[in-house]
Amino acid sequence: MTASKDYTAQEIIVVAGAKVLEDNKIVFVGTGLPMVASLLAKQTHAPGLIPVFEAGAVGPPLNVGLPISVGDSKTFTGASFVGGLNAAFELTQRGFADFGFISGAEVDKYGNLNSTMIGDFPAGYQTPKVRLPGSGGASDMAASCERTILIVPHDKRKFTEKLQYVTSPGHLDGSPGARFDAGLQGKGPYRLISTKGIFDFEEESKRMRLIHYFPGETIESVQAATGFELLVAPDASEFAPPTEEEVRMIREDIDPNGAFVKRAKKKVNKNINLTAQQM
Amino acid sequence: MYWTGLSPDEAREALVNKDKSMKDKRMTLKEAVSQFIKDGDNVGVGGFVNIRQPIAITHEMVRHGFKDLTLSWQSAGMAPDYLAGAMMLNPDHFSIKRIELAYWAHEAFGLSPMFRFLAERGMLEIEDWSNYNMSARFKAGSMGLPFIPTRGPLGGDIPSSCRTKIIDCPFTGRPIALLPASNPDVAIIHVQVADQYGNCIIRGTDATCAEIAMASAHTIVTCEQLVSHELITQTPKDVGIPFVAVDAVVEVPFGAYPGACRRHYYFNGDHISAFHAGATEMCKGGAPDTLKTYYDEYIYNTKTFEDFIAKFPVKKLIADQKAESFNCERLA
Repeated sequence: MTASKDYTAQEIIVVAGAKVLEDNKIVFVGTGLPMVASLLAKQTHAPGLIPVFEAGAVGPPLNVGLPISVGDSKTFTGASFVGGLNAAFELTQRGFADFGFISGAEVDKYGNLNSTMIGDFPAGYQTPKVRLPGSGGASDMAASCERTILIVPHDKRKFTEKLQYVTSPGHLDGSPGARFDAGLQGKGPYRLISTKGIFDFEEESKRMRLIHYFPGETIESVQAATGFELLVAPDASEFAPPTEEEVRMIREDIDPNGAFVKRAKKKVNKNINLTAQQM
Repeated sequence: MYWTGLSPDEAREALVNKDKSMKDKRMTLKEAVSQFIKDGDNVGVGGFVNIRQPIAITHEMVRHGFKDLTLSWQSAGMAPDYLAGAMMLNPDHFSIKRIELAYWAHEAFGLSPMFRFLAERGMLEIEDWSNYNMSARFKAGSMGLPFIPTRGPLGGDIPSSCRTKIIDCPFTGRPIALLPASNPDVAIIHVQVADQYGNCIIRGTDATCAEIAMASAHTIVTCEQLVSHELITQTPKDVGIPFVAVDAVVEVPFGAYPGACRRHYYFNGDHISAFHAGATEMCKGGAPDTLKTYYDEYIYNTKTFEDFIAKFPVKKLIADQKAESFNCERLA
């Protein structure tokens, strides 16, 4: 298990994401890096992981390659049950999804996500500065999966005190029982994986808390790149770099065409493509 | 409260007055589009992102020209791109007034430059929902109900940018969202198999095509393969959309291309990017020349969707078919 010396920011996200997933659980997989991470988990420590895709495929083996859409034909081959969007979301609303795995463009300290617009909401809703794709299924996953795992590229403007638009509810304002009182189901954000580290949400305050920083980062450098005050776990530690084998699997077996994991040469790839929006 | 498309009562009335007989509904795309779509209509768009989108129908809509359409879908890519690109070039010929959506982009193939262009210039009325919200709205429409309760939009800003009403559930006392039904004037849907009466078989994702067809006053269906009624009724449980919901049936092989269609062909990502290039230039303030050249070559100077498909090298079409046959291997 040799540590890789040549991995990208997206690749360490994928490895970290895979490790958060547990064997024999149902994961509702959003588009982009969550798909790559789920496939890596399935091919390593979690062969019994059951992926669900919102276009209606339940439990495919994913043995015909990486889907490039959550409605991809590859998600249907060998699936145990196939339907459409209503079927997938009803199953989730009922409580069958242990994890929801989504990404977003902007996040706040309570794990609320924005993937709708950059601009002035509500006044500038119809004239956004940058119009993003929209919720897709992310807000539904955030509302109804038991726990959610979030991927957001780390950047001071993207880790922000106040979101310009809350697409997918996390711990809302962090007050006790906020999700329940809003009518939501599930425990909300469980882990967040960024280009700089892995975070959980502290039990009492529901605030984002650094638990692992990636190699090359420190607690200070992660805080410096964050637009709000982070909590830091007492035992926060460095995350082990991906192994050479994990990087090889991502590049050769899982995403050989670079559909979601771009072939950046530099270790730090700040602009994770916006195409990796959740669905 | 306002309804876009038909109110639940109007949607009911539309069916009461409709000829529901089992008749031959085959016609040309041109006939279907001019007969069933009108200016100002709410058009329900089938498929999901770039999978089984009604691309051939959107091309014909662009050639025809429409004004002030409302478009409704959950997640879409190329279908609204083609309509929006036409509007970017000439809003007097084609215009979209409003969109009701969860997602407009291309997943691995990037953002939609058409959406960015129109939205960031305030040229569209936008109503954001989620995938489940839009799917459930079509479902309510298909069930003949005025609304449906879901959890989906609770907690964030979506309720402040759409017509959701959040109430305290009369049974549990907890907040629950009520979504108004969507009953489009017309549904545009591509499927794998249909018979001449409009019974349809869908492979891979059902998306929300059945719900959209059942909710709409009229439905135009294109299919990869037109088969006999006798063959399709050998497996009646495979029929996802019943003939009663369908008004026009057109056999259009490759009708969702350059998007994907399960069992038939996989994505042509290169063409998706080539199509986007001109719109991306316009987003950055550039001239419309590249986009205009695309529309002239691929849409306005072609008479039928067959002419569009004929522009692709046979080798490329075979490669995209082969890629899909790898995705779902089966005997010929």
